Amino acid sequence: MPELALAWKALATSWAIPAAFLGVAWGIVGGALPGISPSIAMALLLPFTYGMDPVAAIVMLASVYVGAEYGGSIPAILIRTPGTNAAAATVLDGFEMHRQGRGGEALGISLVSGLVGGLFGLAVLVVATGPLARFALAFTPPAYFALGVLGLSVIAGLSGRSLLKGLLAGILGFMIATIGTDPVSGVARFTFGSPDLLGGIRPIVVMVGLFALTELMVQVIEPAWAKADARSARLKLPDWAMWKRLFRPQAIGAAIGTFEGVTPGAGGTIAAFLSYNEARRWSKHPEEFGKGSVEGVAAPECANNVVTGTALVPLLGLGIPGSNSAAILLGGFLLHGLAPGPMLFEKSPEVVYGLYAGLLVANVAMLALGLVILTPCLWLVNRPKPYLMAFILALVVSGIYAMEASLFDVGLVLGAGVLGYALRFFGIPQLPLVLGVVLGFMVESNYRRALVLSSGDHSIFVQDPISLGLLVAAAAIAVFSLRREVGGARREKAVSP
Amino acid sequence: MRRDLVCAALGLALAVAYYAAADALPRSLLADGVGADGVPKLLAVALAVLSVVIGARSVVAGASAASAGSEDPGLLRHLRALGVAALGAAFVGLAPVLGYPLALALLLLAAALYYGAAPRLQVVLYAGGTAAILWLVFARALGVAMPAGFFG
Repeated sequence: MPELALAWKALATSWAIPAAFLGVAWGIVGGALPGISPSIAMALLLPFTYGMDPVAAIVMLASVYVGAEYGGSIPAILIRTPGTNAAAATVLDGFEMHRQGRGGEALGISLVSGLVGGLFGLAVLVVATGPLARFALAFTPPAYFALGVLGLSVIAGLSGRSLLKGLLAGILGFMIATIGTDPVSGVARFTFGSPDLLGGIRPIVVMVGLFALTELMVQVIEPAWAKADARSARLKLPDWAMWKRLFRPQAIGAAIGTFEGVTPGAGGTIAAFLSYNEARRWSKHPEEFGKGSVEGVAAPECANNVVTGTALVPLLGLGIPGSNSAAILLGGFLLHGLAPGPMLFEKSPEVVYGLYAGLLVANVAMLALGLVILTPCLWLVNRPKPYLMAFILALVVSGIYAMEASLFDVGLVLGAGVLGYALRFFGIPQLPLVLGVVLGFMVESNYRRALVLSSGDHSIFVQDPISLGLLVAAAAIAVFSLRREVGGARREKAVSP
Repeated sequence: MRRDLVCAALGLALAVAYYAAADALPRSLLADGVGADGVPKLLAVALAVLSVVIGARSVVAGASAASAGSEDPGLLRHLRALGVAALGAAFVGLAPVLGYPLALALLLLAAALYYGAAPRLQVVLYAGGTAAILWLVFARALGVAMPAGFFG
């Protein structure tokens, strides 16, 4: 098994194992702080990975994702405030258990269900990504263009309530991607004479601004969160009888988490709520749901941890990020000169297999750290919010400056933060903008390369069978989304008085 | 509804400005058939069309739903949120002059107060201590050349 040897070598020769532990610890802490989503926790750490070995850096970022999904359940159970969006479903029964003096039991179920989900998601990632990437190896410039278009077509799934606003965000992102030196002719575009803009605006700068700074701006007008009571939070792992009872909700969470994870735009939050609902439907004790059901904690926690693995399938296989966290991980790859997608398996297999092995370590680390990190987490959650927010702001400006020793980049992050706040104000989703920034260059450069190859003949995009297939798939997604948009508008009209 | 109209107007204005900037790009001898301005112009047109559709939908929905649109929670709250970015901008302006540690300590102090901390000696100690720790991490441990300011 050369892959196993590669994975072992990557772990043994880099700092991937300590990176996984550190990433999980930071993820749990970040996830436990309300307002700090997994993607924000990852974005805050991103600049620190700049000088690291690529394998250790990618493992650390992915481990943050793993840790944050468990960390989010801590305030959800103890103070009825989900630390992450996906932990919102855990509030329903987790907080009830805490009120009944079973907070430690709920935390234990959350931890082991997260472990089961994380390992299952990793297995799906390992099995599914390789074949997808091998297929994508046959790609030519027209196919890469079509792949980019397919990536942009998933904007429909990421657009929330308004497809039009999602498309608008995607175009704004694409416009940001056109800033800098033109990929074919070398002309400086939209740089306004600034040499700092000649290399373009890096996706990481946009992501940190959109996710971290925007959240800091929102938090200043939000009320402080409640205090956690540490006395009833002694972690209690389930016994064998409880394991048997948890099997069914965990299986439901695993199945739904797999489907939702590989579907761009779906993500852990939808998976958690769907799993909660299905676990109640298939439970022998549906009457306990909402009143402190152990199954009501296990199903969503398992589902959102499955997604930490399966959400990486489209990212590693095709280079398409389907969630905020996957987009930040993509930023980590780009920061180290790595392009996720089929060529990653050819050019840097040690990174791919090192990531697989690192995720395995991360899940073990989550179990180990989950047992000991609760007390420091509670201490941190109970710190005054102004100090925490000020620290995060200082971390953002310091980290971004440190990447290129550039105050200009700090200014760009601030600009991206203001843009993110404006997007929220207008109800425009942020992730399509990130997709536009990430995929814009790929779409434009391959479109123009393909036309140079065909002497300007656009039929090259339908003569290439892979390109044709991807464009048809993109069109199908677009038509489906349009129908859903029109149908949704009609339904809204019908129910309005 | 009014919010969507403002969004549409801003989108349209951006589309016009972006198209004009793309049109003003110099033509290179190395240019391909599409040119450096080809894709940007297409994006500008797409943005304009989307903005018009969003605006039109908003007008139609507004006419049928009268004033059912959500009210803005208040300009002051938005200005307060934007104040966080202003603090960051002040750091960008002050760091080359005061140096990283001092500018960061001021940023931490101002941000903690801005987020609602009581003005006590404890906040000053927190700001100074945290700035010192971050300076040690970035400048000493990671070896990043942070702005030295007049100390340098």
